[in-house]
Amino acid sequence: MNTKSYILDNGAYTAKVGHTDDETPKIIPNYIMKAKSERRRTFIGDQLSECRDKSGLYFMLGFQKGYLLNWDIQKTVWDYIFSKDCCKANFLEMPLIVTEPYFNFSSIQEGMTEMFFEEYEFQALLRTNAGNLSCYHYHHDKPSTKCCLVVETGYSFTHIVPYILQKKFKPGMLRINVGGKILTNHLKEVISYRQLHVMEETYVMNQCKEDLCFMSTDFDRDHKIAKMKWPKNTIVRDYVLPDYTTVNRGIIRTLDETSVSRTIDKDQQVLRMNNERFTIPEILFYPNDIGIPQMGISEAIILSINLCPEETRPHLYNNIIVTGGNGCFPGFEERLTKEVRALAPDEFDVSVTVPENPITYAWHGGNLLSKDPDFFSLVVTKEEYDEEGFSACHRFDV
Amino acid sequence: MSSKVGMGRESGRLKDADKKKVLDTATRNRRARRALESLEMDNYQQDPHADIVLNKKAPKFLDTIEAKGGRRKKEKSAEYYKQKFRRTFEQLIEADQFINRDPPNYNTIEAPSSNFPRRIFCAVCGFRSSYTCTTCGARYCCISCLGTHQATRCLKWAV
Ligand SMILES: [Zn+2]
Ligand SMILES: [Zn+2]
Repeated sequence: MNTKSYILDNGAYTAKVGHTDDETPKIIPNYIMKAKSERRRTFIGDQLSECRDKSGLYFMLGFQKGYLLNWDIQKTVWDYIFSKDCCKANFLEMPLIVTEPYFNFSSIQEGMTEMFFEEYEFQALLRTNAGNLSCYHYHHDKPSTKCCLVVETGYSFTHIVPYILQKKFKPGMLRINVGGKILTNHLKEVISYRQLHVMEETYVMNQCKEDLCFMSTDFDRDHKIAKMKWPKNTIVRDYVLPDYTTVNRGIIRTLDETSVSRTIDKDQQVLRMNNERFTIPEILFYPNDIGIPQMGISEAIILSINLCPEETRPHLYNNIIVTGGNGCFPGFEERLTKEVRALAPDEFDVSVTVPENPITYAWHGGNLLSKDPDFFSLVVTKEEYDEEGFSACHRFDV
Repeated sequence: MSSKVGMGRESGRLKDADKKKVLDTATRNRRARRALESLEMDNYQQDPHADIVLNKKAPKFLDTIEAKGGRRKKEKSAEYYKQKFRRTFEQLIEADQFINRDPPNYNTIEAPSSNFPRRIFCAVCGFRSSYTCTTCGARYCCISCLGTHQATRCLKWAV
């Protein structure tokens, strides 16, 4: 069999794709967009770069609430991803490693399997969870670790998943229904209420979130700072919205930059980001802040570890790894360390790692796994599928 | 405490307009649920191409993959898969309750409610708040924010 695999970490918002040979994956929007300005076409995945005016973009996603529901959209995006225009797949010669959400519903598992074997005709298939790949990656970097706790915080939700001897321990798993989508939508809502109507600007406001939001490492202190007037207020920033003629991506400005330039470009729309910069990511730690009746990440970590066998707990506290796009908020590692430290029993050492790129961490795990000598014992081949059908896939740990 | 000042003015206003509405708990809960549901929306605007009909050239879905090693096979359309696997989220959950009866499953891994008291923020400005709107239960931090709330949100949301 070919030793080069195709690795697709199929997130609800972005797909991370590449081959065994690739050093880094391509990050492809896993959706189709329609623009007001371009009525003759849609934009699939990263074709969005061909769209000049990205205001009021309309999103069509294959995933709803974290699960694959709109198959026509997903197939259209996959067709594009597998094509030579994006990241070419030589189906007949390649095993595919593809991720799917935890507790993926069985009819979705069947649908994916059918598509990859019958429609695309991959030579072999490994369906797995992104967390399994992250665990593999973590263990690869630290071979002596017996356990790790994967905090996967993406677009649709956040999962806390303990891995014991590289196997996920299902009784300790928890899901918090807060992900990047809710954060962006909530930011849109508060900005629309306080300043300027941006409810239709999901794309732009998501960038604004990425550019300016951070995880507070001292919530009360930051509230006090944000209440002060500039220049004592070191948090407040202006965000010049793109107009897609002179500005193509939002520009961050301090207030003195704004006061100097205001006369020159008074046509530009400017948002003021103050407490919004840290109260938005805060929802991950305190969902109750916006009325979601669930515990946040730190509290859920404690609960999750308490659901695990006692002898594993010191290892889990000492090997917490954060993956997914929300891990990109500056301050995440410090804040999570601080809170878990405060909540955990004193006798345990607490260590939290947010890798350099939490978005591609799982993909790299898949890449490493595809080079593992035992890799081919994990896959289901096309021949096996043709003989046994979907039941051949019961070996997958999803 | 200073909250008394706020409350005093409130009741004064109540006397002026005794028809002032106070939303009941069920309505408040319904509004809160609505607000949370709206956070799951992908778009708040209409499909900008919704008026494009019968224009075959318009939204183009790649129906086939070109060149699978040069050969073309009976590829199925995106529409085929849409029809074949069509399920709503609710249907999936329902089916899952039969297939994965024993925990842990999708339903049972949902993180429970927090043991920490809820932190309270002004619905208008986002800073900490100490006062509650007597009409709808929203929180506010000062007279100015209360004014904004009454003028824009308080009873203006459709319920
Ligand atoms: Zn206020
Ligand atoms: Zn009110």
